[in-house]
Amino acid sequence: MSATAASAERWSAQRLVGYGVAAIAAVLVLYPVFYLLQAAFDVGDPQTRPPTAYGLDNFQVLLNYPRIMLNTLVVSFAATAMALVIGFVMAWILARTNVPGRRAFEQLMAVPYYLTPLLGALAWSMLGSPESGFVNQVWRALGGSDHLIDINTPYGIAWVMALFEGSVAFVMIAAVMKSMDPSLEEASQVIGASRLRTMLRVTLPLVVPGVLGAAIFVFAEMLGSFAVALVLGTPNRYYVITTAIYQLIQQYPPRIQLAAAMGTSLFAVMFLMLFVYRRIVTRGSYVTITGKAFRPRVADVGRLRYVLFGVCMLYLMVAVVLPIATLLYASVQKIAVAFPAADNFTLDNFRAAASMNAVGSALTNSLLLAFATATIGIVLMGLLAWLIYRSRLPGAGLIEYVVMFPQAVPRLVFAFGMMWAWLVFPIPIYGTIWLLLIAYLTVFLPLGVRTIAGVMLQIDKSLEECAQMCGAAWTFRLRTITVPLLAPGLIAAWLLLFIASMRELGASILLMGPHSKVITPSIVESWFGTASELTATLALIQTGVVAAAMIVLVAVTRRLGAQLVE
Amino acid sequence: MPTTAATPHIEVERLEVHFGAVPAVRGVSFSVMPGEQLTLLGPSGCGKTTTLRAIAGLEHGSAGEIRIDGKPVYSARKGVNIPAEKRGLSMVFQSYAIWPHMSVFDNVAYGLRVRRAGAAEIREKVERALGMVQMGAFADRRASALSGGQQQRVALARAFVFQPSVLLFDEPLSNLDAKLRADMRIELRDLQHRLGITSVYVTHDLEEALAMSDRIVVMRDGLVEQTGTPDEIYALPRSAFVADFIGSSNLIRGRNRPDLAADGLIALETPSGQVIYGSAYGRPVGDELTVSVRTVHLRLSPQRPAGERNVWPARLEKTVFQGDFTQVHVRWGDQPLIARCAALDPLPAGQEVFITVDPKRVVLLGA
Repeated sequence: MSATAASAERWSAQRLVGYGVAAIAAVLVLYPVFYLLQAAFDVGDPQTRPPTAYGLDNFQVLLNYPRIMLNTLVVSFAATAMALVIGFVMAWILARTNVPGRRAFEQLMAVPYYLTPLLGALAWSMLGSPESGFVNQVWRALGGSDHLIDINTPYGIAWVMALFEGSVAFVMIAAVMKSMDPSLEEASQVIGASRLRTMLRVTLPLVVPGVLGAAIFVFAEMLGSFAVALVLGTPNRYYVITTAIYQLIQQYPPRIQLAAAMGTSLFAVMFLMLFVYRRIVTRGSYVTITGKAFRPRVADVGRLRYVLFGVCMLYLMVAVVLPIATLLYASVQKIAVAFPAADNFTLDNFRAAASMNAVGSALTNSLLLAFATATIGIVLMGLLAWLIYRSRLPGAGLIEYVVMFPQAVPRLVFAFGMMWAWLVFPIPIYGTIWLLLIAYLTVFLPLGVRTIAGVMLQIDKSLEECAQMCGAAWTFRLRTITVPLLAPGLIAAWLLLFIASMRELGASILLMGPHSKVITPSIVESWFGTASELTATLALIQTGVVAAAMIVLVAVTRRLGAQLVE
Repeated sequence: MPTTAATPHIEVERLEVHFGAVPAVRGVSFSVMPGEQLTLLGPSGCGKTTTLRAIAGLEHGSAGEIRIDGKPVYSARKGVNIPAEKRGLSMVFQSYAIWPHMSVFDNVAYGLRVRRAGAAEIREKVERALGMVQMGAFADRRASALSGGQQQRVALARAFVFQPSVLLFDEPLSNLDAKLRADMRIELRDLQHRLGITSVYVTHDLEEALAMSDRIVVMRDGLVEQTGTPDEIYALPRSAFVADFIGSSNLIRGRNRPDLAADGLIALETPSGQVIYGSAYGRPVGDELTVSVRTVHLRLSPQRPAGERNVWPARLEKTVFQGDFTQVHVRWGDQPLIARCAALDPLPAGQEVFITVDPKRVVLLGA
C-alpha cells in the first residue's frame, strides 16, 4: 500500500498546482466582477461601503440617458457595417481571386490591428478635424469652402473604428471562405448551374453563418470600444457608453453607482452577443468547417485583378500608411499644418519627449509592466491552458468559462470593477504599478490562454503520455517534454502579451496613479493637455516599440509554422 | 508461449470505463500469464484501446480491478489508482510519439534518465537496444528526420530499454504501409520472444493478431466476445460476430435434426430443406442452429466428388479473381455461399458445380 500512498501524494502535487492556478484565475476575474455588481445594485449612500441598501434604481436612472444609448447604437451599427464591408471585400479578394501579391497582402492585413485604434484616432483627428485637419486645409487651398470632411462626428468615429476592426472582420470571414470545400461549388457547376447561380445558391448560403458570426462579434467589440470615441467624441461632448462611464467616474463628485450600472448593462449585452456568437460558430451548421485543409478555388478575374489590387492598396493606405505618415509629419513640426514653412520643421518634439521625466517614467513603467505581464503571464496562462485542455481534472470546463470571461467585458468596465475592488483590499496596492500588473494579467487571460492552448492542442497527447509510461513524474515531464515542445507557443504568447500590455488603454487609464503612469494613457493625457505635435511623437515612439516586438513575433511564428510542417 | 507459472502477470477483472455517460468498456475480464503475448482484437470502437490505456493508467476506470503481479494498480472498491508512471509498464503508441525535439539517442535514453542511470550504463543500454531494432547507425539523428518505419523502431527500443515488466502496444503498426507492416510483425514477434516480456497488444488487424499472439481476446461493444489461442479463435468461433470478424465465413441457419445425426456429428436442415452435417465441439445444441463455414474450407469441383455427407450441387454465379485466390460466389438452393479457392481453373457463370465441406469444418456457433 506504500506505493498507493506515494501515488496519492504525487497526485496531490499535480492537483495542488492545478487548483492553485485555478483559484488565482477565479480570484482575478470574479473578485472585481463581484464589486462591479455590488456597486451597480448599491442604492444606499454612495459614500459608505459596503452598501447599505440594494435595488434596481441605478438601472432605472439609465433610462434618463437615452442620448448615450442612441449614440452608442449609431456608432456601433455604422462601424460594424463598414468593418464588415471592408472585411468581406478584402476576404473575397484575398481568398478567392488571383489578385497580385495575395500572400503579402494577407500578412499585411494584420498590421491595422496592431496599430491600435488610438493611433488611428489621433492621426485621423489631425487629418479630418473641420478647422485644422490636413485634409480640410488642402481642400481650402484648392479653393473649397468650409470643410470637406469632419471626423468629429458619429460617422467619423465609426469610420476610424471600422478601419481597425476591419482587419478582425477580415480574419474571421477569410477563415470561413478558406475552409469552404471548393467541391461544393464545383458540384453545382458540374450539374450545369451558371456561375451567378452557383454564387447565389451555394456560395452565399455557405458563407452567411460565418459573416453573421463576424457581425455579432464585431458589433460586441464596437459596443465596448473606447479609445476612438474618447479622442474624437469628447471634444464635442458626444458620448458613447464607454466614454460616458469614464466621464462618470472621472467627474467630481464621481457617480460610481450609475457608472457601475452602465458597465453592468454593457457587459450583459456583450456577454449575450458573444454567447450567441459562440452558439452560431459551434453549432456546426456549416459543414464547411472541417479539419480538412482545402485549397480554396481561386477565380481568375482577368484585368479586374489590377483594380482589386488597387482596392487592397487603398485600404492599407488609409488604415496604415496615411495615419503613420500623418503622425510623422506632425511630429517634425513646431505647429502641425498641412503646408508648413521651412522653419517650422523641428526635431524638438523628439528631444522633448526624450527629456521629459513624465514620458521617461511612463515608458519605463510600461516596458517593465509589459515585461512582467508577459513573463508571469505565460507561466500562469500556460498552467491554466494545461489545466483546462490537458489535465482532465474535474471542473476544468468551469475554469475555462472563468478564464474566458474577461473577453466579454470591456477593459474599462473591468478596470472599474478592479478599482472598486482593490480600493478596499487590505494590502494598499491601489494607485501602484502592482495593481496595473494584476489588471493586465486579468484582462489578458483569454488572449494568453487561447494562444498557448492553440499550440498545446497541436501537440499530440501521446508525446506526454509516452513520457509518463517511461516513468517520468509530472514535473519531470513538464520540464523535459511539455515546455520544450510548447516553447514556440510560449514565446509567441509572451510577445503577444508584451504588445498588448504596451498598448493597453481602457484598464490603465482608470487604474494608473500619479506615480505609476504608463504610456498609452499618457498619450491621451498629452492629447487633451498639451500639443498634438508632442502627442504624435509619443504615439510614434510607442508604435516603434510595438513594431519591434511585432517583427520578432512574426519571425517566431514563421519558425513555429515551419516546425509544425516538419 | 504461456509458461507454467501459475500466477497471472496481469489480471483485469470486470473492468468498466466510462467517458462521461458513455460506456466504452462494460465489464471486461481476462488475465495475461508471465511472458505471454495477449492481443485485444476488435473493430474500432470496441473498447480495446481503452482497456489497454486503463491497464497503462492513462484512463480512469469506473468499476472493477486491475492487478499486476497480484497487486492492484486500480481498484474501484479499494479506491486504488496508481498513476501510470508508477506502474512499471511501458507502451508503444499508435502515433509512435517520438519526441521531435530530441535525438534518437535521447529519445531512447529517456526512461533510463528518469531512473537516474549512470552515463556509461545509459550509453551501453541504449546502444544495445538500438542495435536490436537495427537502428544503431541512427543514434545521433534528429528524431523528426526519420521515416515512419524507423520511428516505429525507435519507439520500440525506447519502450523496452529500461526493462519494464510489461510492454503495451497500441496498434503500433497501423500507420505503416502493408509490406513494412508484414515485416515488422515478424520482427516484433521475434523481439518479444527474445526479451521474454509479457505484452498486451491491441489491433484491429486479424492477420496481425493471428501471427503475433499467444492468446487473443476478441472484443465487441465494450465486452469480451471470445478468448482463446489463435487456432481456437480461428477454427472454433463462438459467435457469428467472431466467425465473421476473424476471416470471412459463411453463416448457415437451420433446424436441428437429431434424427439424422450420426457419428458424433450434428445435422441441421436449412429452410429450403438441405441437410448439413457439422460438429458441436461440446457446445449445447438447441433447436434453431447456426453453423459457420470458412470460405477457404468450401471445396469446389465440376464433377461430383466421392463421399456422401456435405456434398451439395450448386450453381456458380460469379468469380472474382483476387490474385492468390479466386473468390467464387455460388447459390445453393436459396442460400448464397462464398468459397475461396486457390488455383481454380476458370469456370463460366451458370455452371453446375459441387461443393463439399468436411463436417469438422462446419462449426456450431454458441447461442
